[in-house]
Amino acid sequence: MTRLLTPSPSDPAVAPTADQLRAQVGRLFGRSLYIRTVDTGSCAACESEIRLLAAPHYDLHRLGFFFTPAPRHADLLMVTGPGTTGMAHALRATHAAMPDPKVVVAVGACALGGVYRQADDLTHGGVTGLLPVDVLIPGCPPSPLALLQGLLVAVGRLAERIEPARFRIEGAEAP
Amino acid sequence: MARWFLRGLRRGVVTTRYPHRPDPEAARVPTPPAFDPARLTGALADQLVAVCPSGALERRGDTLVLDVGACTACQRCLPVAGAAGRPSGVFECAATDRDRLRVAIPIRGQHR
Repeated sequence: MTRLLTPSPSDPAVAPTADQLRAQVGRLFGRSLYIRTVDTGSCAACESEIRLLAAPHYDLHRLGFFFTPAPRHADLLMVTGPGTTGMAHALRATHAAMPDPKVVVAVGACALGGVYRQADDLTHGGVTGLLPVDVLIPGCPPSPLALLQGLLVAVGRLAERIEPARFRIEGAEAP
Repeated sequence: MARWFLRGLRRGVVTTRYPHRPDPEAARVPTPPAFDPARLTGALADQLVAVCPSGALERRGDTLVLDVGACTACQRCLPVAGAAGRPSGVFECAATDRDRLRVAIPIRGQHR
């Protein structure tokens, strides 16, 4: 089931949802959900907005999100740009290097296939054809607030992927 | 100077309280358009499709399809739409499905 975790700002019920989210991120990831960003040929406007998330006004770290340069440490992959053919291999390798559970967030109109509609020699026409995208954040570029909401939606998707650990022995059968 | 900065100096905190509380600065973020179906005529819909530089608007029979995923919130359609259009004010558009970003607006306006 997919839930939109943050209602619109005019909704008076924003506060309890935000508290639940904070508790959810805290419980699942010990207040440390790590984000890896990959630019597949964007104009850098999306990167500028993503960078603003770490600035004092938005202060992403207060919610337990952090950026990491290593895909091995990342829980969430943020992809910008239309998916250029030159970056396709790097993008797939980054996704493969990330441990499960992981979510992919496509950021901006280019990544959503809104700008370059068709795949051609240069681009894949968005990243939706390259990776299984879980959350799409529209905008050109999306504002940091929109990115924040998208990240919170992604946490909901990540929460769905967590399975309780199961004790297993090779060759043993259930009683 | 940004209002949030002055407010921060007064309170000693510059950080937004979003998503705990709505951010007042969100009202200044460019947002995709919203069209009034009662004032949207077929001719106007065709004009809107022609003026949209990013191809986010598409006419499908009696509906105008707005693709929020392709919309860059440039707002060039708003002067053309006049009273039939306004900025939607919705910036929380993140979706888990590409099709959820497409909105079909029925064309109910009468030709004069």
